[in-house]
Amino acid sequence: MITLDNIGKSFDGMYAVRNLSITVGSGEIFGLVGPNGAGKTTTIKMMTGLLSPDEGDIIIGRYNITEEPINAKSILGYVPDKSFLYEKLTAREFLTFISSIYSIEKSEALTRMEKLLDLFGIKDIEDELIESFSQGMRQRLLFASALIHNPEVLLIDEPFMGLDPFGIRMLTGVITELSTKGVTIFLATHSLHIAEELCHRVGFINKGSLIAVKNSDEIKSIEGGLEGLFMRLGE
Amino acid sequence: MTENMVLLLIRPKFLSLKNSISARIVLRRLPFIAIGIGFWVLFYIGTYKVLSYVRGIEFFGEILSKKLFSMTFFSLLGFLILSNIITAISSFYLSRDIPFFLSRPVEIKDIIRLKSFESILNSSWMVMSFIPPVFIAYGVSYNVPINYYISILVALLLFIFITAGIGISIAHILTRLFPAKKARNALLGIGIIFFLLLYFILRSIIPGDLSTPEGLINSVMTFRTDSPLLPSYWITEAILPMFKNNGPDLFYSFVLLSNGAFFLLLSAIIGQWFYRGNIERIQPSGKIIGRGFLKYFYPNKNMAIIYKDIKMFFRDTGQWSQIFIIGALIMVYIYNFKSIPVDAISGLSPFIKELMVLVNMVMAGLVLSAVAARFLYTSVSLEGQAFWVIRTTPVDIARFLRSKFLYASIPVTLLIVFLVFVTNLAMDIKGMLMSVSIATVLMLCISVSGLGTGFGAIYPKFKYENIASVSMSIGGMVFMLIAFSVVIVTLSLEAWIFYLYNLMTELTIFEKIQIAVSLILILLVNAAAFYLPMKIGRKKLQGHIEII
Repeated sequence: MITLDNIGKSFDGMYAVRNLSITVGSGEIFGLVGPNGAGKTTTIKMMTGLLSPDEGDIIIGRYNITEEPINAKSILGYVPDKSFLYEKLTAREFLTFISSIYSIEKSEALTRMEKLLDLFGIKDIEDELIESFSQGMRQRLLFASALIHNPEVLLIDEPFMGLDPFGIRMLTGVITELSTKGVTIFLATHSLHIAEELCHRVGFINKGSLIAVKNSDEIKSIEGGLEGLFMRLGE
Repeated sequence: MTENMVLLLIRPKFLSLKNSISARIVLRRLPFIAIGIGFWVLFYIGTYKVLSYVRGIEFFGEILSKKLFSMTFFSLLGFLILSNIITAISSFYLSRDIPFFLSRPVEIKDIIRLKSFESILNSSWMVMSFIPPVFIAYGVSYNVPINYYISILVALLLFIFITAGIGISIAHILTRLFPAKKARNALLGIGIIFFLLLYFILRSIIPGDLSTPEGLINSVMTFRTDSPLLPSYWITEAILPMFKNNGPDLFYSFVLLSNGAFFLLLSAIIGQWFYRGNIERIQPSGKIIGRGFLKYFYPNKNMAIIYKDIKMFFRDTGQWSQIFIIGALIMVYIYNFKSIPVDAISGLSPFIKELMVLVNMVMAGLVLSAVAARFLYTSVSLEGQAFWVIRTTPVDIARFLRSKFLYASIPVTLLIVFLVFVTNLAMDIKGMLMSVSIATVLMLCISVSGLGTGFGAIYPKFKYENIASVSMSIGGMVFMLIAFSVVIVTLSLEAWIFYLYNLMTELTIFEKIQIAVSLILILLVNAAAFYLPMKIGRKKLQGHIEII
């Protein structure tokens, strides 16, 4: 469902991502971990079309993100690490806007909106301006907006940013359920214990290059688990 | 230690500026710099020519020239105070660095000093950039010694300190009375009432006899800008003796100096009283927004962006309150044209009506450029850092730009066409002249709107504290100059066609070719103004740009 084929990106002659190849199958949860500045966010930004890769191809579903961006974006949902939103819209209006952009039919959009507002616990504040939302509430709204069009692929940069323990538990449940329904999930995170619990496979990236990919069984068999592996590979 | 603290707080801003300047950026900005210098030269030549003409008028020349000098400062006074109030509210209360400073061991008085410095700089840079050609033209025309230029620079700085002190003090008081985001709204209301009141009082001071050319000259000369209580009067009186090769007036120089210090001190004291309390009062609260009568409306894909922008526009007082300013300016504009004694001045030239229509269109073009800079040039930047939403969803950038174009161009076009129509009616312009001027203005509205949307897409600024600051940035200023150039080129070509068509008894083939070429050029210039920036802007937005 996701193919990163030898992609590379540099800024001012410095490589941020180099020779990165990953394939993620349908319904799989893939975690990308690595130290700060390793290239995780750059990789996700290239997958969303926010940045163009200098080298290689990115295939989302059946579409190359550079050549067919509109088709690729139609099937992906994205939750960024920074929650910049339209501050002067309410949560409901923001979801309406996103539904319109994806050309979702009105009654269907309203049904999905009700369901997602309930699911992410923001029904009570749906008519408040986003400018008054806390970081955690923004994160919940971002998830609702990323899921409103039933994406086939979900890209998440730091999924648990600002969430309280209830929020984290709710979100891990949602991600697992989406995966069982066949949604492919690619997430970049620093929360190693959650990545270990949630991901089917984890990739380690450092200085823009993929160092290792381990599945959940392999990680469990390593001393110190994911954190132990991270410390060793990150050195 | 406090002085060091202010320098310490300013340092990161200077370092950011220094780090953002590189040879590559300077090279990219070279066309802007060239346009700015070109404007300076043109502005200087224009002022010098007008000044030479005015000074050449028998009996009244010298008085008129000095009157224009004092009127310049009088206009600057109002502009700078209003600009300082708006900038001070943004700097003191809406800046993103405020929570950072408040959570560090920084004293309130140091924050006030830092923010005062920022307000003065941000509200005055435009005046300091655009006004020098006027004073240089005066200096050259009166052949004054070099100390005139130094004196006027110092006097202008003191004048800026006075207006900043007044503006910042009013900003603190208004924020005390209203929450910051509503204060801008309230102050604009107050500003407009004050402005209109002042305008109509001044109009009433002017003698009513405008029925003859002599009466008209008398009216301009008796236009009262010289109340001794106004800082504009002090600066005029301080500098005027220098036109007779004397030194500056010491008394008024001292008045400027003492008042500059006084008003800055006053703003610091008022800030010390109100700032801390004001900051706590402006924190956002979770207020429920009613869904209104459009609660069942569900926009389709084409309408989604426009609908969102309209909603956000009316909720952001920083945006819609500026409509009041535009409204007030337009009222004054129409009132002025209504007051022009077209019949009386018809005696001065046989084509005075045609000339007035041309002047009207130039003025409307100026208003169009300014309004387009505020609403069309900023329309892409308005997305702010939430632009990632557009980039990561299946929105075609061409469709996005079309939405932005429609969102602002429709109201701007209606406004400008209405303006020209009403002012033409006020001057009793009908028939062919009316049709040609409306068609021209309609064409200019579309081309300048395209230029504004496209230019805003080429130079988007997604990280800003106040959307008005985007239109007042260097890019905004350059857009305005280019937009006004499109207006001037179009109108000059039309005037040339009119000249050939009406003043030549019989058109030769050469003149017919000139008319045809002019018509083609008009269409080409306007088509290029619309199409090229939109095309380049689309490519620029599709490329990778740093958003979040």
